[in-house]
Amino acid sequence: GSKHATTPADNYYLARRRTLQVVVSSLLTEAGFESAEKAAVETLTEMLQSYISEIGRSAKSYCEHTARTQPTLSDIVVTLVEMGFNVETLPAYAKRSQRMVITAPPVTNQPVTPKALTAGQNKPHPSHIPGHFPEFPDPHTYIKTPTYREPVSDYQVLREKAASQRRDVERALTRFMAKTGETQSLFKDDVSTFPLIAARPFTVPYLTALLPSELEMQQMEETDSSEQDDQTDTENLPLHMSTDDSGPEKENASVLQQNSSLSGSRNGEENVIDNPYLRPVKKPKIRRKK
Amino acid sequence: MNRKKGDKGFESPRPYKLTHQVVCINNINFQRKSVVGYVELTIFPTVANLNRIKLNSKQCRIYRVRVNDLEAAFIYNDPTLEVCHHESKQRNLNYFSNAYAAAVSAVDPDAGNGELCIKVPSELWKHVDELKVLKVHINFSLDQPKGGLHFVVPNMEGSMAERGAHVFSCGYQNSTRFWFPCVDSYSELCTWKLEYTVDAAMVAVSNGDLVETVYTHDMRKKTFHYMLTIPTAASNISLAIGPFEILVDPYMHEVTHFCLPQLLPLLKHTTSYLHEVFEFYEEILTCRYPYSCFKTVFIDEAYVEVAAYASMSIFSTNLLHSAMIIDETPLTRRCLAQALAQQFFGCFISRMSWSDEWVLKGISGYIYGLWMKKTFGVNEYRHWIKQELDQIVAYELKTGGVLLHPIFGGGKEKDNPASHLHFSIKHPHTLSWEYYTMFQCKAHLVMRLIENRISMEFMLQVFNKLLSLASTASSQKFQSHMWSQMLVSTSGFLKSISNVSGKDIQPLIKQWVDQSGVVKFYGSFAFNRKRNVLELEIKQDYTSPGTQKYVGPLKVTVQELDGSFNHTLQIEENSLKHDIPCHSKSRRNKKKKIPLMNGEEVDMDLSAMDADSPLLWIRIDPDMSVLRKVEFEQSDFMWQYQLRYERDVVAQEEAILALEKFPTPASRLALTDILEQEQCFYRVRMLACFCLAKIANSMVSTWTGPPAMKSLFTRMFCCKTCPNIVKTNNFMNFQSYFLQKTMPVAMALLRDVHNLCPKEVLMFILDLIKYNDNRKNKFSDNYYRAELIDALANSVTPAVSVNNEVRTLDNLNPDVRLILEEITRFLNMEKLLPSYRHTITVSCLKAIRVLQKNGHVPSDPALFKSYAEYGHFVDVRIAALEAVVDYTKVDRSYEELQWLLTMVQNDPVPYIRHKILDMLTKNPPFTKNMESPLCNEALVDQLWKLMNSGTSHDWRLRCGAVDLYFTLFGLSRPSCLPLPELGLVLNLKEKKAVLNPTIIPESVANNQEPVNSTNNHGQSVGFQNTFSNSQEEEEIDMDTVHDSQAFIYHHLNMLERPSTPGKEQSSGEMNMHPVLAAPLSVFTKESNSSKHSDHHHHHHHEHKKKKKKHKHKHKHKHKHDNKEKEKDPFAFSNSPASARSIRSPSLSD
Repeated sequence: GSKHATTPADNYYLARRRTLQVVVSSLLTEAGFESAEKAAVETLTEMLQSYISEIGRSAKSYCEHTARTQPTLSDIVVTLVEMGFNVETLPAYAKRSQRMVITAPPVTNQPVTPKALTAGQNKPHPSHIPGHFPEFPDPHTYIKTPTYREPVSDYQVLREKAASQRRDVERALTRFMAKTGETQSLFKDDVSTFPLIAARPFTVPYLTALLPSELEMQQMEETDSSEQDDQTDTENLPLHMSTDDSGPEKENASVLQQNSSLSGSRNGEENVIDNPYLRPVKKPKIRRKK
Repeated sequence: MNRKKGDKGFESPRPYKLTHQVVCINNINFQRKSVVGYVELTIFPTVANLNRIKLNSKQCRIYRVRVNDLEAAFIYNDPTLEVCHHESKQRNLNYFSNAYAAAVSAVDPDAGNGELCIKVPSELWKHVDELKVLKVHINFSLDQPKGGLHFVVPNMEGSMAERGAHVFSCGYQNSTRFWFPCVDSYSELCTWKLEYTVDAAMVAVSNGDLVETVYTHDMRKKTFHYMLTIPTAASNISLAIGPFEILVDPYMHEVTHFCLPQLLPLLKHTTSYLHEVFEFYEEILTCRYPYSCFKTVFIDEAYVEVAAYASMSIFSTNLLHSAMIIDETPLTRRCLAQALAQQFFGCFISRMSWSDEWVLKGISGYIYGLWMKKTFGVNEYRHWIKQELDQIVAYELKTGGVLLHPIFGGGKEKDNPASHLHFSIKHPHTLSWEYYTMFQCKAHLVMRLIENRISMEFMLQVFNKLLSLASTASSQKFQSHMWSQMLVSTSGFLKSISNVSGKDIQPLIKQWVDQSGVVKFYGSFAFNRKRNVLELEIKQDYTSPGTQKYVGPLKVTVQELDGSFNHTLQIEENSLKHDIPCHSKSRRNKKKKIPLMNGEEVDMDLSAMDADSPLLWIRIDPDMSVLRKVEFEQSDFMWQYQLRYERDVVAQEEAILALEKFPTPASRLALTDILEQEQCFYRVRMLACFCLAKIANSMVSTWTGPPAMKSLFTRMFCCKTCPNIVKTNNFMNFQSYFLQKTMPVAMALLRDVHNLCPKEVLMFILDLIKYNDNRKNKFSDNYYRAELIDALANSVTPAVSVNNEVRTLDNLNPDVRLILEEITRFLNMEKLLPSYRHTITVSCLKAIRVLQKNGHVPSDPALFKSYAEYGHFVDVRIAALEAVVDYTKVDRSYEELQWLLTMVQNDPVPYIRHKILDMLTKNPPFTKNMESPLCNEALVDQLWKLMNSGTSHDWRLRCGAVDLYFTLFGLSRPSCLPLPELGLVLNLKEKKAVLNPTIIPESVANNQEPVNSTNNHGQSVGFQNTFSNSQEEEEIDMDTVHDSQAFIYHHLNMLERPSTPGKEQSSGEMNMHPVLAAPLSVFTKESNSSKHSDHHHHHHHEHKKKKKKHKHKHKHKHKHDNKEKEKDPFAFSNSPASARSIRSPSLSD
């Protein structure tokens, strides 16, 4: 890393780090070490720092979990317990005779993160919002910016625009389709001016002719979602007797059940529809005459 | 032939009574399109010496017949397969029609005939003599049926069920014989047991109650068991098998609907209305629906849109629609209502004979009309009646008449009631489809006339009586003789009417039912001021074809200043003038309200009227109680008053049509006012649009203001702030929706002084297309957009052609360029976002043909031919084919005509085949009196073959081919044919040989048809009264006579005379004769009258017989394999029973 750290933020962090190093060294002395390699001290410092950070992070979570912003002692205790630390040994350890007193790190101000965009003053909290709530974000994030061009609201222009837009899209799309596929033409000498996408027969022509397109379905939902009597469309769907190899018998029975329950709920009473086409298919008789 | 007259009840034409029939179809193969099964008929002989049983069967291959478990010999002979044998050079339609009617007669179950003749084994003769029950068991199969059963098998991956493959029965009138052997008559009722074994993923829907469904042992198939305990005619039996989705009607659980996969949401919506139709019919008939269940099946490639069978109906899948579709909804509901009406009358109640058909069609059509009135209102009902009336009148005047109740008297051919037609009306199967449609139309109109006469209450009582009689009879399980109560006859129906109402309607029946033709009135009037009398003159034309003279009461309504007055005039032979006293004095400037017919009092601006006359308008037969056409003369202001103030929609429509002849500002104002009036019936307003366009064109030089209807449309449908932009679509109000659709179409018909569509109008329509916005609409706008394209097409006028230059892009008219731009975009968008029923594609194709025809775009059928291919939606195909038909006519293209005719023969969809012939007949490439390069001998041969043998699997198609042949060549020998080689023909009646009349130039010019031998030939073998015979002379084609005679003789030998197998004929031959020249019912009681000519024949040609017989033998194909052959016992032993037979030969000389 670069040594010429001069910013206040760097100083702030360095001071704290140095204090931690002192702590580690004194603990080592306490444990009976006379000297230590720098690398070992660095590693232990690193471990200590992570440990303390974890306590802080965890305590903050517990605190926020109970809808507070300031951690209390119990938050710390719970954290320590959770981290597998025997809390009860702590008071005794704190009062041990051979402990060393370390001077507190020099008081330096928490460095201020420079704001990328500052526009105007943050709004103070109104009286009904407690002070511990987060501050308002920067004004530019929520205050509307006036523009100087009048938006288009003229009906005629809008319609005109919508119409020509749709037409352009349609023309582009169909031209593209015509370019990329087979075409037919009304003029033998010219195939490009009025290209017609070639007619292609369907295997099941009635499906495309009768079923509403997805677009139309969507449109219909939008226009009258209120009027549609829902449920009716799906009610009888499973009735279609599909006969996969998995026991059609069972399937029919379940279909029957479903149907009767649905109709029952509609009629508000339990009358099972007795329709011969809904009855289960019978197993063949074993006895054969011939 | 027994024509059941009087109230004796029903006499069966058969020597036995059928009581029960089992139909079992064990195997259906979709891949091969084949069916295997058997039938078992339980019959009771009614005469002691029954030795032959005749059944109907076409197209089926019959493997084995057993009677009470004994093998029985049988002959399969279908003379309708090939109507005229031999390469006769006659080729005239008279000859064909007679032969065809004879062939149909020869297998007509109502005459006791049939294609299949089964010999009762001699072991059973004693049994038969005791009139004990016989069980006839027939094993049969069907391979690739061309009619009767229709397979739809989409060509794609997957199992048959996944592909949506299905099969259903179809056909016109009695067509059940096409798919299983039966007595294919509407008058032979029996109970049914129906069994179908189908793939486990499929459903078989058929008549009666589904008793159970059972898996086969391998669990891969299941068998549907149906029981129909209500006695039903075989012709009302139907079947539909496919991977159907099942919907139990939420309102009526005994009603089940079926549709093809994926269409269930549409099915739900479409059938959600059906219960109301049920309720309506049950209420008016005060009778419950006769069957215990009802099924509707929606299938693809339908033969007809609606087909009604016992307890089920088969519909076209194209009737299904979603809630977004406006236009299809009323049409589909009509179809459902029609089908249901036929359940009561047509299925449950059947008919005694073909000549009673009108009663059934009449009643079902009539109650359907009542439903229309209730559902869509009186206006719609009256509009419909008027429409039907106009149609039948136009058809009868064109063709010479429709006869509801033909009576065929005892053999006199002169009595032929329909000699004006090119087909016989003795059988439903010989009728032109158009005739049959009009027949149904007339039938219900006549029922309405009867209602007018006896009141609706009595009418419904009569129906109720028929139904309750039938339902009592139907519950008599073991008294099959009672079942004939379920058959309706003309006389029974009339008797019911007279019993219930106590009124004599005989004159009415005589006028409209027993004779054909409609009435043509011409009316005019003068007002006699002195006497204050209206002098009305009513003339009739009863000499033109299709007309008849009317004598009787006629209602006339006169609207005067003081009110509306009805007068009943008596139309008599010689009185043309009728004096009608007027009630009010003429007056001027008196402010007083004028009372109308309905009691309403209105203010009128009377300044337009004639100051001397108190008459506002006059109507003749306002209630349409005569089948008539009225041409009435009154002044323009009277029509205008009638349009504005008469409340009857029919009167308003008549006034609109009349105003076309009065292009004046006053007419314009009256029409515009009607257009704007929201209370006015929407169809009247739509009609007014077109009239206004016509008037505007007539007034073009004096017209002031913007083009007609433009400002009106702007006011009604465009934005207030920007009048050139149409509002976003909102079709909640259907009346304005229909008006919005129609106005642009009518406006596009406007023409300026140069006879071009005004630029302003074209731009207006283009703007409508441009600004069309359906995003906020609850309904689909596909019909609206389609009509905007129609409007574009309407605006096209013929191109100014310079020296017939070739049409290229460079010389394209700029307006046409704009139109083409739109059509191209619309047509291409359809590929990406297809519209419901592809209405837009249909309109685009029509518009392109219009552009071609008017010379803007090179005339070319290639585009249409690609859209006409199988695999496109049927509406698109029809539109494309219509364009090809038109091209064929305009460009006289032999190639395209051949292409069309090939399609008639080969297309998989029967409806398309029928429709092509229909369109060719309506828009023929040439007609009989026209010189055309298309008219050549090859075409004659081709069409002749088509109707003679190529269409034997479909009655409707064959009649369609006959219609086309008639349109192209007329009744007589086609003019393009060379003269026949045979110069000398024999006239049997006059017993002399004469020169073939076709050789005599004069007679050709006189259009005298050389009548062929079939007449005499037919007589000689015992057919009666089948031939129209206006000709004096009858010539005989000797070859035909020889061959047919020999053939019949040969068969007689076989049937009546015992012969040892293998001695004279080979055994295979006897079992299966695919093509026989003449029917088997050779000697019937009626043949006496024709014996004379028989002997004559024999006298002349005896010596040739044997030779011919041998020659004929070689013609028959041996269809049987040897094993079967050996099994079949066909030793007809010389038993006393056969000698006793009433049919014993009198001819075996």
